[in-house]
Amino acid sequence: MEETTQKQTNPYLIPAAILIAGAFVAAALYFGGSAPTPVAVGTGNNQPAVAQQPEPTGSTNSVRPVTSEDHIKGNPDAPIKIVEYSDFECPFCKRFHDTMNEVMDKYGDSGEVAWVFRQFPLEQLHPVKAQAVAVASECAAEQGGNDAFWKFTDGYFDVTLTNNRTDIETVIPQLVKEAGLDQAAFQTCFESGKYDDHIEADIANAVETGGRGTPWSVMIGPDGKTYPVNGAQPLAAIEQLISIAKNEQ
Amino acid sequence: MYVKTLGVVFAKPLYATLFLVISFFVLSVAIMLPHVGLIRTLWQYESVSVVEILLLIANLYGSLGTNFTILSASYTVVIALLFGMQVTLLAYYLKSIRNKATNLTSVGASGVGGLISGFFGIGCASCGTFLLSSILVLFGAGGLLAWLPFGGEEFGLIGIGLLVYANYLIIKKIDAPKVCTS
Repeated sequence: MEETTQKQTNPYLIPAAILIAGAFVAAALYFGGSAPTPVAVGTGNNQPAVAQQPEPTGSTNSVRPVTSEDHIKGNPDAPIKIVEYSDFECPFCKRFHDTMNEVMDKYGDSGEVAWVFRQFPLEQLHPVKAQAVAVASECAAEQGGNDAFWKFTDGYFDVTLTNNRTDIETVIPQLVKEAGLDQAAFQTCFESGKYDDHIEADIANAVETGGRGTPWSVMIGPDGKTYPVNGAQPLAAIEQLISIAKNEQ
Repeated sequence: MYVKTLGVVFAKPLYATLFLVISFFVLSVAIMLPHVGLIRTLWQYESVSVVEILLLIANLYGSLGTNFTILSASYTVVIALLFGMQVTLLAYYLKSIRNKATNLTSVGASGVGGLISGFFGIGCASCGTFLLSSILVLFGAGGLLAWLPFGGEEFGLIGIGLLVYANYLIIKKIDAPKVCTS
């Protein structure tokens, strides 16, 4: 007689399998984190659908200096700046947009924090529309300045269905009208392709700073130290990070 | 029968604790993976205290509600619980059959496969912030995500299926009577 037959097996099989799994995930993180995202940029304006590939530095210190050319909400000279690279069709950007508005409600009036909005349309995930809305927001800014940009941007994130489900043919003209912009001049700008390079530069800078997806943000502290903010972090975490940055002074 | 077996295992404080610790650990890894860069950065800044970092980490647990879809948050929690359950059952089983040769290949493969698949599904696949999108993009296939009906979250669901299967296999093994055959 013998006990129910069970095949002989290596006792290290399970621990080895778990280690392999861990190594697999770690490798994915390592390679995913060190390589720049080769985001393809379909401009929709007869431009090649390939982005310029920046140097794969992946350091938040590569964040382009904030200038008056940027779209800034709050005090441009605020000691703490949160530079967000965003995609208008990303659901988590929509969520983080609300969070950032809450941050500005709390820290904007006192001039402690400024919110800088830069473009990071993910063409591979949200083809055509994300890029088109990014262009539209730039055209709104060109015609109506910073106020028009934020009115357009806040308005778009309010109504977008995200993930390329938004009817931009209806929504963009509506937002242009609400912002009090000239429709014909807006259309000329929108179709000109004049902001394609600007958007590509934003994307390139997002990637240079380590952005692999959206929303991607870099917080710049009073002493110039930078902090990577990956994804739609909750308000409490952003507040804690602001507190840390303030203490660094 | 299987529920009774689970009751027997998890009624023991040691195994219940192991289950909670492993589940919490897996859930924490899933939530914190996107924030590794931030935590590492803070760690490098000498003026940032450990308490401040721990407070931030505590706050980052809230990203389960902001950085995940309802679907991905749900299966992330389920995967963590199932994996905790699997490790616990495995520990119980290994102790009960100590010194007896056995074959756990299928259990191990399913469990580890489930964990990997589950991790692939975690996060904001639609915005390219996590593992699957990073890997696909690395191979120039980021656009594949747009073609998947759930934007990559399918992998989380596959992970659940594999872990449930792995747990079923191991419970069956625990239940299997040690009989003598001629």
